Amino acid sequence: MTKRKITRVLIANRGEIALRILRACRQMGIEAVVAYSEADRTSRAVMVADEAICIGPAAAKLSYLSAPAIISAARATGCDAIHPGYGFLSENAAFAEAAAAHGITFIGPSAAVLERFESKAGVRALLAKHGLPTIPGSEGIVADIEAARAAAKKIGYPVILKASAGGGGRGMRVVTSDTELANLFPLCAQEAQAAFGDGSLYLEKYLTDTHHVEVQIAVDDAGTALHFGERDCSVQRRHQKLVEESPSPALTTKVREDFLARAAKAIGAAGYRNLGTLEFLVGPDGKPYFIEINCRIQVEHPVSEMVTGVDLVALQIALARGDAMPMTQAQIERRGHAIEFRLTAEDPANEFRPQAGEITLFRSPSGPWVRFDSHLYAGYEVPPYYDSLLAKLIVWGPTRDEAIARSRAALREVEIDGVATTRDFFLGLLETPAFLNGSATTGMLDASGTAAILAAAPKVSA
Amino acid sequence: MSSEQSRLDPRAESEAEELGVLIDALLPVLVDRLEETGLGEIEVERNGATVRVRAEATPTSALHAREQAVSAPVASAAAPVINDRRHAIRSTAVGFVTLASDVHVGAKIAKGALVASIDVLGVPNEVRAEHGGIVGALRCTTGDPVEYGQELFFVERIGEGGR
Repeated sequence: MTKRKITRVLIANRGEIALRILRACRQMGIEAVVAYSEADRTSRAVMVADEAICIGPAAAKLSYLSAPAIISAARATGCDAIHPGYGFLSENAAFAEAAAAHGITFIGPSAAVLERFESKAGVRALLAKHGLPTIPGSEGIVADIEAARAAAKKIGYPVILKASAGGGGRGMRVVTSDTELANLFPLCAQEAQAAFGDGSLYLEKYLTDTHHVEVQIAVDDAGTALHFGERDCSVQRRHQKLVEESPSPALTTKVREDFLARAAKAIGAAGYRNLGTLEFLVGPDGKPYFIEINCRIQVEHPVSEMVTGVDLVALQIALARGDAMPMTQAQIERRGHAIEFRLTAEDPANEFRPQAGEITLFRSPSGPWVRFDSHLYAGYEVPPYYDSLLAKLIVWGPTRDEAIARSRAALREVEIDGVATTRDFFLGLLETPAFLNGSATTGMLDASGTAAILAAAPKVSA
Repeated sequence: MSSEQSRLDPRAESEAEELGVLIDALLPVLVDRLEETGLGEIEVERNGATVRVRAEATPTSALHAREQAVSAPVASAAAPVINDRRHAIRSTAVGFVTLASDVHVGAKIAKGALVASIDVLGVPNEVRAEHGGIVGALRCTTGDPVEYGQELFFVERIGEGGR
């Protein structure tokens, strides 16, 4: 096993995840330098960091998405590793390769592994070969409308068109007929090209009333693969997650244990390394179908940390260093239930439209088994350039019901003024039967669903 | 005397020209003297015109954001002659800086001149002077790591628009 030196990490991200990584580094006795854009000069991570370096202007393309700027910043500050966080360059094989070429360890899978798992269509085929059930779909990429039409005919409408290089819920379109396909195919390819630099598309059977369930996995250099339980992320708007919990209420105990073990085994055998997440859809039949892999730490990782007690960011750094897996599957005990709420600067009453502006009041919640990961402070200016995530509230309870009761109490303590947030939406969600009985599916937040949830929100004095 | 006046009034304009010549002659000497002596401020009066040169309170540490943010240049009303003519030449990239060989305290640089280069993984990124003038305090030396937007050195503008 190759050992790689990690003594000083450049954190090439922003917001709450920059803080999260900084904390993991400090705890491990590793120095950390926060890389930031001009728009984040007053961010909390920059304030808290021992050292910080401005890598470019506000536009992400010239800062957080600029591989030369980030690698150059790592060299200028004497860092021997880069943590990319999530989003931005976190799954970019060329970036990982360029970092390695400069003697800098990329904290994540190697460039070769990222490349192997880059194409969504390819990964589906690869993991199917290793025994994971997949949703019926095209055999790899559909080159043109004709190929797409043939594949759709075989699968049966509705189908979902997806960008092979996509992620974060973008570049996806549900298609219900040949005519729609002819219209949407070029549009979708164009969008994928613009957003991901790759216009290739594939398609899958579109399942309705599904739960989104994902498995947190970790693999060391030797191929020892472990899982850290699953997360249910069915409450989504525009295919983007709002609430995540573990364990998933959609799986029976019998299905769950077999499913988790198979996921870990398949991903290790398929050659994946470092931390990752396998995403599945669970249909009304209660069976999980693999949809895609995320080759990075995820926003919702704290949910798994709360039920397993394992620091996943620290584990990720250790694995990137070439450490052997420091635990066995039997040692990972999953206890109780955890739920995460993504407090974003979005207006739920207005189609979750993103907000920017100054935070005029900020009060964070606290209490037993309440974790609040946030980069906010009163007076902080939420910049309009990036993701709208403001804070993650993660609550643990011995049972799902107790976790929900504690979540209600904690959410009532959250006070954020200056921008609209999703807090009241969550308070409403915690009064909504479909969520309370665990039957919320990915289609829950259509227009009427959101309005009903907001109407259910109790009044909380500000 | 504000620059607005100097544009409107021919007498003021000729005074401005005189002042420009004065600054031209004195500034390199004053800047050098300021550095040598470690004084905070030097004031010289001649023909009724005053030239005051003031050193920055604390030098910025190369790669530290908090200090950078605090010591961002602020135009001071107390020293109108010099401070509104002072311009920071800033790094255009994150990497290692090489100052042009003719950039030293007291040197005259032309507007648009190539004054430094930032090495970003072997690719040079040009830094050009936005204004002509006399090089004041240096904030870096060749080979230093620099961040994006970092002050590399200051330029004291001469007359209107510089050269």
